[in-house]
Amino acid sequence: MPPTNTAPIIEINGINKSFGAFKVLNDLSFSVAPREKLALIGPSGSGKTTILRILMTLEGIDSGEILVDGDSLYQMKRNGKLQPADDAHLHKMREKIGMVFQLFNLFPHKCVLDNVTLAPMLTKGVSRKDAEHHAMELLDMVGLADKAKSMPSQLSGGQKQRVAIARALALKPKIMLFDEVTSALDPELVEEVLNVLWKLCRETDMTMLLVTHEMGFAHDFADRVLFFDRGRIVEDGKPDEIFRHPKQERTQAFLKKIIAAGHRV
Amino acid sequence: MGQWAGYLQLILEGAVVTIKLTLMGSALALVMAFLAGIGRLSRFAPVRWLATAYIEFFRGTSIFVQLFWAYFVLPLFGFTLTPLQAGVLALGLNVGAYAAEVVRGAIKSIGKEQYEACTALNFNRWQGLRHVILPQAFVLMLPTFGNNAIELLKASAVVSLISLSDMTFQAQVVRAQTGSTLFPFLTILILYFAIACVISFAIRGLERHLTRGLDGIRS
Repeated sequence: MPPTNTAPIIEINGINKSFGAFKVLNDLSFSVAPREKLALIGPSGSGKTTILRILMTLEGIDSGEILVDGDSLYQMKRNGKLQPADDAHLHKMREKIGMVFQLFNLFPHKCVLDNVTLAPMLTKGVSRKDAEHHAMELLDMVGLADKAKSMPSQLSGGQKQRVAIARALALKPKIMLFDEVTSALDPELVEEVLNVLWKLCRETDMTMLLVTHEMGFAHDFADRVLFFDRGRIVEDGKPDEIFRHPKQERTQAFLKKIIAAGHRV
Repeated sequence: MGQWAGYLQLILEGAVVTIKLTLMGSALALVMAFLAGIGRLSRFAPVRWLATAYIEFFRGTSIFVQLFWAYFVLPLFGFTLTPLQAGVLALGLNVGAYAAEVVRGAIKSIGKEQYEACTALNFNRWQGLRHVILPQAFVLMLPTFGNNAIELLKASAVVSLISLSDMTFQAQVVRAQTGSTLFPFLTILILYFAIACVISFAIRGLERHLTRGLDGIRS
């Protein structure tokens, strides 16, 4: 679905982030249009996962500004002045954003259904009946309705990740962040998760940011691809431009390495 | 033989007091453990200080002295307690201080990824703690809680010093009246051990019940 020419849903303006002496993000700026499907690729340590974690408020920023849906993520207006965001502001901003993690992060003490219903019931005051009804629809969508009463420990990695996707969707976010969601899976389980992402890509209006090493999937899935290296965007373009005709030397070198490692591009 | 039955009756009456003390003391210890253990992880510094002060003070002074304060000194400030109340208070506060560190340790051992899931799902701190972190941490606390409860059971013998007629107190009464040390002290040895076994057994059962279907939590 091509993005339309409206105001960006995410605007990142000159952000910097260091972990100790290591500069992860270096004066980074880019924006994302509503409904855009964006793939973030690049070598490890290039800062692509950090971007998702910052958008989910799991990491703060050292400087710069992030706007989500027109509002500053880490700052709020109080008495006409900009101040660091408080819990209530962050809570409001997080409602727009959902995230799926590389290692699923399911709640091991709760069954699949409870994993999906807990957040809507706690954070949105949805009744158990409505939450379960919606959860069953989502589990059906990811093909796991029959596992509703199973515990996470009884599921395969691919199934766990599909539950994690349903769990994030239950809060109906406008923006979904996928952080290397297939990297921890056995090769034969990757496809079932990618199929779910593919379905979301075609059937929903969500803005999706995908950090991935699955270059073939990124090519088919994304409207736009950002290639990161050393905390900066080296190349930004349509999937065909990035994957078939990369302009930058570093992009070419990276793709060459990835192909040598046996990934389809 | 008839007289021993009477003395046994006396010791069993003491056992009831000991069990009562253990149950009530453990209940207070549990409450204090969660208050102080969670308090020590608070982001509000005064709460952390208060929790730390409680833990260090009650771990760092003897249960014997604490009991005497509860029973003999507090009345000087206008708080008069019955021997049972003083015993429960001293035992609960003392063991609660040890157990608070168990609570804190277990909470801290829950992986960062669980906290991150809570943030991503927009839980506030209390919701995450209540629904995600504590249920997993509680399973980790249980074995040590069992230790603490058994410690409390054995420490409860000090209440005989404030004339509360618990099992140890009654054994001394029997010893004084009969001149026999073997009978009363063998009896309470067995009884203490039996009660401790019940505690161990109950904790293990609870642990089994709570870990059904879980993995990746017990390390």
